[in-house]
Amino acid sequence: MEKNRKINTISAIMLTLSIVVSYITSSIPRTLINETKSSTLLNIIYTTAIVLFIILLFCKLIKKFPGLDLLDISEYLGGNFFKNIVGGLFIFYFISSSSIMLRNFCEGLVVIYYPLTSYIVIIAMFIISLVLVNRLSFNSTINTSAIIFPIVIISIILLFFGNLHNFSFRRMYPILGDGWYNTFVLGLKNIGAFGGICYLYFLPPMLKQPEKLKKIAVISVITTGIFIAICVATLLFMFSFFITADEIMPLFSAARYIEFGAFFQRFESIFLLIWIISFCCYLSITCKFSTHIFAKMLNLSSMKPVLNIFAILIFAISLLPKNYASSIFFETGVYRYLRIAIGFILGMMVLLLANLKKRKVGDNN
Amino acid sequence: MITISNLLTKLFIIILVIVFVTSFSASYNSLNIDNLAFVIALGIDKSDTNELEVTFEFSAVDPSSEGTLSTKPVFNTVQCSSITNGINMMNAYLDRKVNLSHCKLIVFSEEIAKDGIADEIYSLINETQVRPSSNIVVSKCNSKYYIENSTPTLESLVTKYYQIFPNTSEYTGYTCNATIGDFFNNISSNYSDPYAILGGINNSDNSSNSETVNDSTIKSNETPITGTRKTQNIGLAVFDNDKLVGELNAIETACFLNIEKKIDTFLISIPNPEIVDNKIDIYLTPNTTHKIDVSIVNGAPYVKIKLRFSGKIYSMTRDAQYLDNKILDKISNSCNTYLESQFSNYLYKTSNVFKSDINQFGSYALSEFTTTSEFENYDWQNNYKNSTFDIDIETIIDSGFLLNQT
Repeated sequence: MEKNRKINTISAIMLTLSIVVSYITSSIPRTLINETKSSTLLNIIYTTAIVLFIILLFCKLIKKFPGLDLLDISEYLGGNFFKNIVGGLFIFYFISSSSIMLRNFCEGLVVIYYPLTSYIVIIAMFIISLVLVNRLSFNSTINTSAIIFPIVIISIILLFFGNLHNFSFRRMYPILGDGWYNTFVLGLKNIGAFGGICYLYFLPPMLKQPEKLKKIAVISVITTGIFIAICVATLLFMFSFFITADEIMPLFSAARYIEFGAFFQRFESIFLLIWIISFCCYLSITCKFSTHIFAKMLNLSSMKPVLNIFAILIFAISLLPKNYASSIFFETGVYRYLRIAIGFILGMMVLLLANLKKRKVGDNN
Repeated sequence: MITISNLLTKLFIIILVIVFVTSFSASYNSLNIDNLAFVIALGIDKSDTNELEVTFEFSAVDPSSEGTLSTKPVFNTVQCSSITNGINMMNAYLDRKVNLSHCKLIVFSEEIAKDGIADEIYSLINETQVRPSSNIVVSKCNSKYYIENSTPTLESLVTKYYQIFPNTSEYTGYTCNATIGDFFNNISSNYSDPYAILGGINNSDNSSNSETVNDSTIKSNETPITGTRKTQNIGLAVFDNDKLVGELNAIETACFLNIEKKIDTFLISIPNPEIVDNKIDIYLTPNTTHKIDVSIVNGAPYVKIKLRFSGKIYSMTRDAQYLDNKILDKISNSCNTYLESQFSNYLYKTSNVFKSDINQFGSYALSEFTTTSEFENYDWQNNYKNSTFDIDIETIIDSGFLLNQT
């Protein structure tokens, strides 16, 4: 990794959270509420604890491979072929999930602001911004995320406090929602909401201080849990219908209720603008991580020629779903499981086996 | 020196700009203020052919007004099978596109509300332009007539009138800020029922109704108020799910608002403990220590309500002795008795007669259940009619306003 690409601890945390924030502003809170009903807050505390445990295990396992990312470790475990399989799966997951999220986000924008504009044109706008950002260095993307992220967080916190008068805290009951089995066993699926954590696998070589990976990981998980809880609480305490109904951009619906007197009204446009910029950052990060993996897989010296190809790939995949229903199906019914399978199970299995190999090789030595 | 690569890049940028300008111009034009007709109120009635009759109130700048910003309302009515079709037909009739983003008031006639308005509410919520803060009114008269006669007397802008009149609930308690957002929320839940503002017109024939002898038992269509504006908004329309099942009068609405903690101050007339057949007006302020507990006792909801008020004596008479603590205690007791009776009447009326939980007591009962299925099996909405209410009211009357002794 070139020296100028190294990122500091705070930027690394911001980067991870920027990805999660995009999930949150799209549809994750609604999916969580649909899944676990009134016990969603309890489920988030539970899943945060589980993810925290997983991430601590990750830190422990990766400690034996200082400065290496998951690709390097895969290569150590199963050679170049295995490295390419793991890299390919992660590229597939990053690109396809961001494409589907882009499609959903743009479908929402069409409904809300551009009724007579095709979603293809709006997706193309995002892709053009992605191509333009790709011309800049990796650090530019990271720094932009570091600037945008606090603004997004302010918007989410404002969304919570601006709607306090609309809250009915009693909606968090019945405390177990659909029962303990749904909350604690089936509710494990909700760890997919922490999908941004997957990017941590590829962070170590990019960090200025790789020894602070544990700090980055733990802060990212806890902060992610808090932000998901804030967004879920906003929807859960405000609306009774999200448990049964499906509404495009649920946080946008909550933003429409914010009013400060007769003069300060209709804040949702500002919120949406912030979320659009944040979504551009997310796309750029995803694209750059995918390119980074691809370049590493094929030992390419420069990422730039591939960046635009990935941008076009995102564009093409986002057009694949037939309609909004199909893309929502992919997001809630497919990618959530993919996030768990690739992000948590595959990544952790590679680390676990690599550690076993290292121990065995070490024992033999 | 111009290279082919530079030329191609510039050409690409020009093509992109043209594509985007063309693509977004349609959306821009459709949302351009010059091409829009802003609806400020929507009235929904049932037509003779059992279809909907939708009345649109538009705002148009009054050319005759000089110096002041004044708008002249324009009314158009269409008969249609649904609200969305009505909007579409109105688009065809007008030279502009109908836009509901400034619609402050949605009025349903009593007749249509009795049949159920779930489809209309769902359709309106599905419309991105409709604000969740738009008020819902159930009109005792034809909604078209209600809208046409809602001309403000003290405002030059109708929109401002529509925006501020529900706020009177904060200091009178006689009406309520009932929004479509709340209505949709209540209609979608299994532990509450929706409500709407009760609207009507001045009707001198009804004003002599025996029920309206007491000032606080008035409601729209049955008030002794006469004025330039024909419409009035006093009372609350109560729904069981999406069907109108009853009406609340002024004091009952105040009870509702007190339980909902949506009232700052309100005036009541209580029997004067010192003078028989005389009444005394008290200005009450609810304390923040209101407490509601709901439990399930022997399979029926048991609702415990604790309300605390502080009050000042508004009406002043000759020989008033409001510095005497004994007299103040007597007034406080009279006030407690009066309020307990009003709250009890209100609560048993909504639960036993209307079978409608507009105060969302069901949400307080949620904590009594461990899982959603347990709550669903209990069937709160059917069991609410069996509720028992334990009302504990304490009022502290401390003084008059400027005068305490005469």
